[in-house]
Amino acid sequence: MQRRVLYWIIHYALIALYLLFALFPLFWLVKVALTPNELLYSEGIRLWPSRASLEHFSFVLTHSDFPLFFRNSLIVSSATAAVATLLSSACGYALSRFHFRGKTLLVALMLITQMFPLVMLIAPMFRLLVPLGLVNSLTGLIIVYTAFNSPFATFLMQSFFDAIPRELEEAAMIDGATRFGAFCRIILPLTLPGLAATAGFVFTAAWSELLFALMLNSSAQASTFPVGLLSFVSKFSVDFGQMMAAGVLALLPACLFFLLIQRYLVRGLTAGAVKG
Amino acid sequence: MGAYPDEGQAEPEVNARGRRLVSAAEPYFYAAPVLLLILAVMLVPLAVGLSYAFRDLLLLDPSGGHFIGFDHFQELADDPIFRDSLLNTVVWTGASVALQFVLGLILALLLNREFPGRRLVQALVFLPWAVPTFLVGLDWAWLFNPVVGPLPHWLFALHLTHDANNLLADPHWALVGPIVAAVWWGIPFFAITTLAALQSIPQDLYEAAAIDGAGVLEQFRSITLPLLAPTLAITILLRTIWVANFADLIVVMTNGGPADSTQTVASYIFTSAFRRLDFGYASAIATVLLLLLLLYALAILTLRRAMLLRHT
Amino acid sequence: MRRRLWLAAATLGVSLYSGAEAATTLKLVEVITSPERTETLKAIVKTFEDANPDTNVEIISLPWGPSFEKLATMVAAGDTPDVVEMPDMWLALYANNGWLESLEPYLKNWEHTAELNQRTLQLGRVIRNTAYMLPYGFYLRALYYNKKMFAAAGVTAPPRTLDEFIAVSKTVSATPGKYGYCLRGGPGGVNGWMMFGALSAGDDVYFHADGTSTFTDAGWIRGFTTLADLYHGGLAPPDSVNWGYNDIVAGFYSGVCAMIDNDPDALIAIATRMKPDEYGIAPWIKGVGGKSFPTIGYGGWSMFANSKHKDLAWKLIATLDGVTGSLTWNRRIGALPIYTAAAKDPMYADARFKGWFEELADPDVEPMVMPMDLRAWALFVSSVVPRTSQSVLLGKLSAQDMAQQWARILTKAKQSQK
Repeated sequence: MQRRVLYWIIHYALIALYLLFALFPLFWLVKVALTPNELLYSEGIRLWPSRASLEHFSFVLTHSDFPLFFRNSLIVSSATAAVATLLSSACGYALSRFHFRGKTLLVALMLITQMFPLVMLIAPMFRLLVPLGLVNSLTGLIIVYTAFNSPFATFLMQSFFDAIPRELEEAAMIDGATRFGAFCRIILPLTLPGLAATAGFVFTAAWSELLFALMLNSSAQASTFPVGLLSFVSKFSVDFGQMMAAGVLALLPACLFFLLIQRYLVRGLTAGAVKG
Repeated sequence: MGAYPDEGQAEPEVNARGRRLVSAAEPYFYAAPVLLLILAVMLVPLAVGLSYAFRDLLLLDPSGGHFIGFDHFQELADDPIFRDSLLNTVVWTGASVALQFVLGLILALLLNREFPGRRLVQALVFLPWAVPTFLVGLDWAWLFNPVVGPLPHWLFALHLTHDANNLLADPHWALVGPIVAAVWWGIPFFAITTLAALQSIPQDLYEAAAIDGAGVLEQFRSITLPLLAPTLAITILLRTIWVANFADLIVVMTNGGPADSTQTVASYIFTSAFRRLDFGYASAIATVLLLLLLLYALAILTLRRAMLLRHT
Repeated sequence: MRRRLWLAAATLGVSLYSGAEAATTLKLVEVITSPERTETLKAIVKTFEDANPDTNVEIISLPWGPSFEKLATMVAAGDTPDVVEMPDMWLALYANNGWLESLEPYLKNWEHTAELNQRTLQLGRVIRNTAYMLPYGFYLRALYYNKKMFAAAGVTAPPRTLDEFIAVSKTVSATPGKYGYCLRGGPGGVNGWMMFGALSAGDDVYFHADGTSTFTDAGWIRGFTTLADLYHGGLAPPDSVNWGYNDIVAGFYSGVCAMIDNDPDALIAIATRMKPDEYGIAPWIKGVGGKSFPTIGYGGWSMFANSKHKDLAWKLIATLDGVTGSLTWNRRIGALPIYTAAAKDPMYADARFKGWFEELADPDVEPMVMPMDLRAWALFVSSVVPRTSQSVLLGKLSAQDMAQQWARILTKAKQSQK
């Protein structure tokens, strides 16, 4: 009995430590966002400003281009999540169900794309996209992000499909359905948690991406919010208060989304993990 | 090579052959969109990017671009900054991944037990992953700055440091900053995948072991670890590759300094490409990194296959 | 009746068509972006658009931090603007690679060319004696000091010479947690090293007659050592080895260090955070021979050589750098004027600008132009200087060795420039 009590004490203590570690930096973000400019440096180390103020939030919402950037990010991330999930389910299904010539090569190619520093791809990619008119556009970003996220999304979807027995679609096919029909009507609905998890993962990744959004798009009309955050760093002052406020606002959708789908991510990965 | 051997037997010859062709092509149809996309958007630029390594290419100089063979690689071999950055990369990648892995594993083990509030705790503890990396870098740089952040003062109060100065300005300790930030950001990834793997281990295995008298530690060693190992291998492989290529936190927090003490291969590529505008040299470094990561991947995958074989 | 209708339609069609044909769009890129600045730019540009009704100007504001790499990527891939804001440090890179259009023919016919002060044309022409940019204003270094911190340490007046500077720093640094000098050890710190080097050398000559660098001379080495000793002696904050522009300004207004050397545009950040009686601006300190060498920098407007609307682009530059445009602009960005007559503008009569105009009137003060015409200068400044100077500050390299390395690089750069 003693051992059990001791175990649970340690258990909760460790959980508390993790929560503290995970949430303290986020708390600090919020704290800086609520600190008025005059107190930012003089009260830097306090755990809470002596006078909390919403001035940064109201500035970001009313005086900057932030709403526009937010909207662009929403469009790009949602579209990327949708398209990437769709295409990766198809590819993941192929990897899960079939043995075909070139399968190893495909997997190897996808792995290789993860190994090359993306920085080096900017110049060639820019040259590729300029004649196609895809520079300085949200569509260009969507295409690029979908490509970036497809390898990992495929890997995720493959493990979700691995968990579903083949017999299900085989039975449907013996009954006269096409494989594609069985895929759409039987298999996909069963992997809804997996789809949600993959979409959530891709959404989060696209939402936070900075380098390509910065390099490929220049006009405010086509900029996403990470680029917008950079605009708070100007030569005359780094408006940390405003930047953190913008950061907090931008975090909200990503956090919410992630909060909702992380459960499915665990559940979905569980099924296919051992076969991994 | 068809997909399924047991198609309808009683069909006429031509139909059967037609169907076999279609089913042989099936996987390619499913895989085609992703394949085409990554070919066009990633692999072609990648090939072009790799070719820069053999040309002298300064970004704004339209007169350059000549083929110079292995000159860049020769220069690399003699470059002391590159050597130091390789060492830093090993430290950076090793420490970040090891810490993320261990802490993520512990967290997953903790979350694997049912307890009141578990769902909420799980959701909260995974939040760091949702923060954009450059914001992570700024946030932690802010936390380590003694003028505006509490960490230097707390560390000093706990007698862990002998003054309350900015860790990021000390060449011996500066790399700790980005590592801590990377670990904070990366634990959720390991925790999620490990938790998933843990939850797929059948409970009866543990029950049987408990009946046989095995303690908690023994159960962990003989059941949990071996079954987790294949998943962990893949997760570690992926994370190592990503972290090795990850320059954001270092560029934002220390810019590779002070005096290049936190320069890793990835950040060196960034500074070569975008400060010196020397895309040829940067490409050469990237090529070397790619080769090293390929070797590493091969090693891990071979290890994993050995583990899987041993288990079946 | 039908015929008339057709005629009317045709006329309408033709007029619409030619109307649509005539609207041109110019692309203008700004690189030292900040929200207030962009507002001012938009206002000046609007006066241009009003005067040229068929022209639209698309303003692209690059975030300041990554603006260098962003512009380079755009230009290299063919996405070039018509007019671009050109900082002094980038001019050699773009002009020497043939990207910029010479403004000489336009300047020859411009009515305001004679009103520009001598420095404007001189600095605009550093590359091959051709005006590849028209400066919009000047940034001259001066000494900002924190009056509150001085009073607390018992210092009554800002230092006038190098020796006084060191003495004052020591006094202020005696208080724990306070430091005398906000040293810029990180990006952009080259100005400090050059200024201290020149102070001890008594001269701002960078190259001997034979084209070799002067950095190996005893005077320059002594100057570099002096600056390094400031850090080693605890007269600058230990973090400052990493500090960039924003960090030194923040260190100044948050009361960590008492003195910084900076340009008039730092006033903008400082004035919003400090009360006028809390800080002062004095001329930069004097060294050997009673001479002072504050660095002078500048920004301006350039036209791209592949612009399809060169005459219109020139008109835009002329508006931006016109008499009213330039004054409005300088009021916002806090730079010193390009027109001789502008020095009499009430903005510059403000007490805060006194320090700079004192400098400009003093014959012992020689504004120092760094060798930015060297092709290798930008790389030297962004990559070699931070790395080597940080090593010196951290004690890993001696100031003398650093001077030797710099001399080698600059001599080579000078010789390959010929």
